[in-house]
Amino acid sequence: MVHNIGSNYPNREEVLNFSTYDATTSASQQDLGVINEQDRLLPIANVGRIMKQILPPNAKISKEAKETMQECVSEFISFVTGEASDHCRKEKRKTVNGDDVCWAMLNLGFDDYAEPLKKYLHKIREIDGERANQNKGASSSSNDDKDHTRNLHQETSSNYRSAGNQVPRKGTSSNLFKFNVIDKRNRF
Amino acid sequence: MRQAGMYSGILSGGGISGRTGPHLLPLARIKKIMKKSSVDVKMISGEAPLVFSKACELFIEELTKRSWNMTIHGKRRTLHKEDVASAVATTDVFDFLIDLVHPNGNDVNEDDHVPEN
Repeated sequence: MVHNIGSNYPNREEVLNFSTYDATTSASQQDLGVINEQDRLLPIANVGRIMKQILPPNAKISKEAKETMQECVSEFISFVTGEASDHCRKEKRKTVNGDDVCWAMLNLGFDDYAEPLKKYLHKIREIDGERANQNKGASSSSNDDKDHTRNLHQETSSNYRSAGNQVPRKGTSSNLFKFNVIDKRNRF
Repeated sequence: MRQAGMYSGILSGGGISGRTGPHLLPLARIKKIMKKSSVDVKMISGEAPLVFSKACELFIEELTKRSWNMTIHGKRRTLHKEDVASAVATTDVFDFLIDLVHPNGNDVNEDDHVPEN
């Protein structure tokens, strides 16, 4: 709720709102609470979908269970980020990067995640690097990106199901560095 | 129903390479949650939320599987909040969640915490 900060001439609307919400603080906190609630949780649809996909087809999930899972995931993110951030601070770095997240996972006992995540991170960086090269003027196709990333997901996901994916195109691995210049000059 | 592109979206086309496009979990939201975790967190690299989107998927999968074991143990087919709580209680690595799922210290033996609301 706006309390006419910085304004000498409160408009009528603000004045009215102010007087309506006499217990102003609690009302505004409530409003803020609602906004924050959405911000601090991952969407229930996404969370629910991941849950559903790992369970048998006839399994049901209560709404409360999904909500609980939302809370747990946010807590997980905070927990690991806190550890990663501490690590950065000790090393006198300002930016939390992917390595820090992996380090924190390992440090907090999520050993099973650390390896797949490191691989994932490696591939992300690889792809980014390739993409940077591509953007520097190569006229090669982006097939490699797709093949790389698809393989990446298969390696690192415990339950990857590839049905429904597009058919992988046959890009040769050397395409990336081949400059296919189409020469339209007359040739004899 | 699994939609084509939900999994592959993260990988193909503008997925990882463009850092845009469909991911399983919204990166902007992940980033927000990261920022809120501590005052110390100021700068976050672009790859960190990506790593987390994968990590959260693994986390949800693990916790869900363990919770489902509790459901089966109770001879039910609907996964309830209590199953999640039991899974948390019986898994060491999920200790950080104990207060979250047992706010009143109901099911856990050694929980002496005053519930925070």
